[in-house]
Amino acid sequence: MTRNLVPMLVVALVVVALYYPLMLLANVPVAQQALDNGAALECKTTVACASSLRSPVLPAPMQLWTGFRSLVLPLTAPTSILPNAWATAGNTLLGLLLATLVGIFFAIGIVASRAFERSLLPWVVASQTVPIIALAPMLVVVLGQYGVQGALPKAIIAAFVAFFPITIGVAKGLRSPDPLALELMKTYNASDQQTYLKLRFPASVPYLFTAFKVAITAALIGAIVAEISTVGFQQGLGRMLFENSRASDVVSIWVIMLSSALLGILLVALVGWVERWVTPWQRAR
Amino acid sequence: MATRTLNPAASQSPLLGAVLTLLGFAVLVYFIASWWNHSNPASSGQKLLIGVGFLLGALGVARVANYLSRVKTNPLVGFIPAGLTLLLVVSTIEALLRAYQVPAGLIPTPTRVLATLWEVREVLLKDAAQTVLLEALVGYLIGCSLGVLMALLVSRFVFLERGLLPYATAFSSIPIVALAPVLVKMIGLDWPSKAVIVAVTVFFPVVVNTFRGLTEVSPLSLELMRSYAASEAQGYRWLRLPNALPFIFNALKLGTTLAMIGAIVGEFFGADGKGLGFRIQIEAGRFGFDIVWSAIIIASIVGIAWYNLVTWLERQFTGWHVSFRE
Repeated sequence: MTRNLVPMLVVALVVVALYYPLMLLANVPVAQQALDNGAALECKTTVACASSLRSPVLPAPMQLWTGFRSLVLPLTAPTSILPNAWATAGNTLLGLLLATLVGIFFAIGIVASRAFERSLLPWVVASQTVPIIALAPMLVVVLGQYGVQGALPKAIIAAFVAFFPITIGVAKGLRSPDPLALELMKTYNASDQQTYLKLRFPASVPYLFTAFKVAITAALIGAIVAEISTVGFQQGLGRMLFENSRASDVVSIWVIMLSSALLGILLVALVGWVERWVTPWQRAR
Repeated sequence: MATRTLNPAASQSPLLGAVLTLLGFAVLVYFIASWWNHSNPASSGQKLLIGVGFLLGALGVARVANYLSRVKTNPLVGFIPAGLTLLLVVSTIEALLRAYQVPAGLIPTPTRVLATLWEVREVLLKDAAQTVLLEALVGYLIGCSLGVLMALLVSRFVFLERGLLPYATAFSSIPIVALAPVLVKMIGLDWPSKAVIVAVTVFFPVVVNTFRGLTEVSPLSLELMRSYAASEAQGYRWLRLPNALPFIFNALKLGTTLAMIGAIVGEFFGADGKGLGFRIQIEAGRFGFDIVWSAIIIASIVGIAWYNLVTWLERQFTGWHVSFRE
């Protein structure tokens, strides 16, 4: 990690150094046009205008900073980022929990029964080549009609997107024990249930966490899309994105995008942290 | 023969399974046909009948699947249990929706969806052409080629590997949907903005996978190339690229799904009046769920076909690979 630090910093510096000229390059034509049209702007020169456009192509660093401050402060206001990100994180984690339950169920089915595998696995796989996200707008409305409201519909959609990697990961994990260990269980005359509890499930835990890292990103995407489609006054980054996109508040969209990126990275880090805590024996590797 | 009689499950004839399956389907079809024009909910006895039909069918399909998983068959026959399962689930849903008289505005019955699909096929095909051919395909091709190029660069220069790759991994944990509104505002409502979203979505998995393929080369092969005095270009042409092909195809397969999702979600944030995502968003807002389902069916068919096309290409290009050996 440390040997990556210098190159990573250099790349970051290059990006930062390139950003300002790029921003000017992208915004100057728009600013020029606005000036030519004689729009009432508070700026005089094209360059000054380019960095204070109301809907810039690329927002200027100062704009991003002001936008960030206005969206983050006050910390707990219902329209600021923190409570919304918190709500989205909650939906995502609830969705991940549901996805885990469903995923483990499918995985056991696949490992335990050839017939189950033959008749359902093709559809589990096919469901992944289908843009499941497309279902979100409808599912939210239908679930809402049947009184499923609040965080649950969003969690269900998040789970819908996230259960596949978990299914495949856990199935792999349940099959991972060494044949020798399975034979040993047989010699002990262990029942199927005991084999699962004492051998197969513990063996699948590392695989489960690898799957979590993929699934949680998928669940986050699911949660955000579900929030976009939700009717009502519920919180969430998706809702903020949609409203600001409707209001054409470009700087705010940028800030929300960066925040959801940060949330995604934090959630993956969280999974990594829980993994180290739950499977300490893996750390030695 | 002797081993067969030792295993009681193997001696089961598939005949009973086939009979059970047929019986189940007969019950379900009978119910659907008899309830076709009714507008009142079915009695609890009739609901029980649906349950019985489904159970019979499920048991039958399980038996058939069990039998087919024991005998070696070609893939088409191997697909029978999955096909039967789909049919069974769809007809049970149809029967249940009719039995409970769920309003068609809420959950349309599968037959109604198919009828709608046929009615509005021209609009949906235009939508699909916009979403798939312009947005998803163009974006996919651009994103994948740039991804492979970037991976080539990153694998060639250690500095780039250390400086860029950690960012690429971090980027893959970013929810791409959040990028969609920004790009739509930046580029406009027309199709290029969605193509860019798709390109960005598929780019990072391709970079990460291709890089792994290019660098996880057996040291022995590298030594061999050295002893042949192979130039760097030759090393890439004859060793690294062939080694990376299976990894690249994995990313390409993953990318097909991501591309469809990217294009559809991108349209949720603004489109110029056509596109599958646009249609879904609009129709879901005014409870036109039969059209939404039709659009989803089209998107699914395209998604599955595209995935299989890439799998077919993979077989053509990497047929030599271990994973295809019997």
